[in-house]
Amino acid sequence: MDGIWRVTATALRAPFTRQARADLAFCLLGALTGLIGFVVVAVVQLPALVISASGIGTLIGLALVVAGLLIGRRLGALHRWTLRKAAGELVTAPARFQPGSGLLGRLDRRLRDRDGWRAIGYAWVKLPLALAEGYAVVATAIGLAEITYPLIWVLFRNHPPGTKLGPLNAVFPVPSGHWTIATWPGTVSATLAGAASVVLGVWVARGLTRLDARVMLSLLGPSRVSQLERTRAIAVEDAVAALRRVERDLHDGAQVRLAAVALNLGMAQERATDNAQRELLDAAQAGVSGALADLRRIARGIHPPALDLGLADALASLAATSPIPVRVRVELAERPAAAIETMAYFCAAELLANAIKHSSANQIEILIDEERTGPLRVGVTDDGVGGADLARGTGLAGLAQRASTVDGKLDVSSPSGGPTTVTVELPMRVQAGGN
Amino acid sequence: MRVVIAEDAAVLREGLARLLSDRGHEVCAAVADAQGLREAVTEHVPDAVIADIRMPPTHTDEGLRAAVDIRRDFPATGVLLFSQYIETRYTARLLESGAGGVGYLLKDRVGNVAEFVSALERVAAGGTALDPEVVGQLLRRPDAGLASLTPRERDVLALMAEGRSNSGIAAGLTLSEGAVEKHIAGIFGKLALEPESADNRRVLAVLRYLRTAR
Repeated sequence: MDGIWRVTATALRAPFTRQARADLAFCLLGALTGLIGFVVVAVVQLPALVISASGIGTLIGLALVVAGLLIGRRLGALHRWTLRKAAGELVTAPARFQPGSGLLGRLDRRLRDRDGWRAIGYAWVKLPLALAEGYAVVATAIGLAEITYPLIWVLFRNHPPGTKLGPLNAVFPVPSGHWTIATWPGTVSATLAGAASVVLGVWVARGLTRLDARVMLSLLGPSRVSQLERTRAIAVEDAVAALRRVERDLHDGAQVRLAAVALNLGMAQERATDNAQRELLDAAQAGVSGALADLRRIARGIHPPALDLGLADALASLAATSPIPVRVRVELAERPAAAIETMAYFCAAELLANAIKHSSANQIEILIDEERTGPLRVGVTDDGVGGADLARGTGLAGLAQRASTVDGKLDVSSPSGGPTTVTVELPMRVQAGGN
Repeated sequence: MRVVIAEDAAVLREGLARLLSDRGHEVCAAVADAQGLREAVTEHVPDAVIADIRMPPTHTDEGLRAAVDIRRDFPATGVLLFSQYIETRYTARLLESGAGGVGYLLKDRVGNVAEFVSALERVAAGGTALDPEVVGQLLRRPDAGLASLTPRERDVLALMAEGRSNSGIAAGLTLSEGAVEKHIAGIFGKLALEPESADNRRVLAVLRYLRTAR
């Protein structure tokens, strides 16, 4: 018994809470924006489908689809705003749209705008939701009006006895929930029905707000894939930044200390008076030199200093140490993201090392350029014996795997007898594939 | 010698200042960044500058850029770059405007005080001092002319690139000066350097290494 009372009390108290007002405000706004949004999307999209399907005017159809996607994203922002302002629930926006380059690239990227399509999906799903939200608001409004019937009767129906009056209409917002009232005591039924209607409206609004918020979260929030893309990009960039920090710490820490030790040892060597001392100091000095050489090698494996000046300089420095002549060409309009630059450098370094070790080539070429539609290409070509195979050995497969962490790919062309070209494609930005 | 030191690590900056003062050189200023270096050089116009390549604020190549500017604006000031790394590209940029009055040494080289100071003196006097590592990297470069050098001639060219004089090379390789001159003539011939002034050809021969690195 106790439980039933508590539920009833909660149900009846609900209309007087701030939550109820927030839910109703959201339902009112949600119904309006939902209906308008649906009409707009439908007006843009249906002709697009018809026109495209008819085979003629595919271009117009495409333009309309693109317009629909743009509008879908805008509407999504409006819906999220409504939810936040009215009901105080936050749905994070999906990642910003990243336009492609070139007309086809732009169109392609736009048409594959997953979040745009999801937003359009929401516009359709929102139609029944908006109708239901409108119902909740109307039910509450009717209920509030009906509660006042006894008062209205007293104020406006206070005519002398015998006056002929039409009956009052009363409704309860369910099918065939309509009746008429002809006497004052009858208005009590309207009051009761009104109160019930308010409770019903408030609870329906509550349920719909929660449902709508969940639908928004799944269709207007960041998709799982784009969320993963984003966090993966952060992880990749963090890893590169962390290594960079290690290199800087080595440079400003251990390497400086060791150089200072070398300096002091040098000064001590100058003052050493007997041979035994001098021998010990020489040994210490040799140890310091060895340690510094080790640190240099480690640091270079983390971040070659010339990479600060860009890929062209870094690769020129790298090529300078090759026993086989290397031609380096870097044709980039702008510098890629730091993480990509580092990746491109180490890909080129590894491919160069492979070519030196296995190809018996006379000439190696490293070409870094940008495709018209975006990705950065690292190509290493040698005129050697060929026969490089992605399936054999772990080197190339490892490279392909590393490239795939940023949606890059690796391509090998190496017929027996050569020449060998290995191309690694990387996006210019870590998250270029995301949208 | 009047010297300005630019090095962001205090322990090395002070160590270098002490090392040079102990040897009777005057350290006009010891600064921690490239901006300070430019100001100190403008103020003191020293005989030589020792500059770290990687300094604040960007910790990339500001020392190198300052060095190139100083060589252009203060021809009497020699610049010795002092770095944890030898980058062939940096060497090429340093030498683009000529091979005199510049040096590029690994920081480890302060361990040999006598050689370090003599390298600095060479740079101050308008000579060159390149780290053996620079030369080592460049000798791995293929170049038809360079490839035809005998091992002995390569040794001579390596020391030449370090900025040594003929007698310095002779001492380094325990050869007679006459033999060194013969090897040098051989190098000039194989690199097809026209006989102009001997000094100029020395620079050209060294630059030949460096150019291939670009």
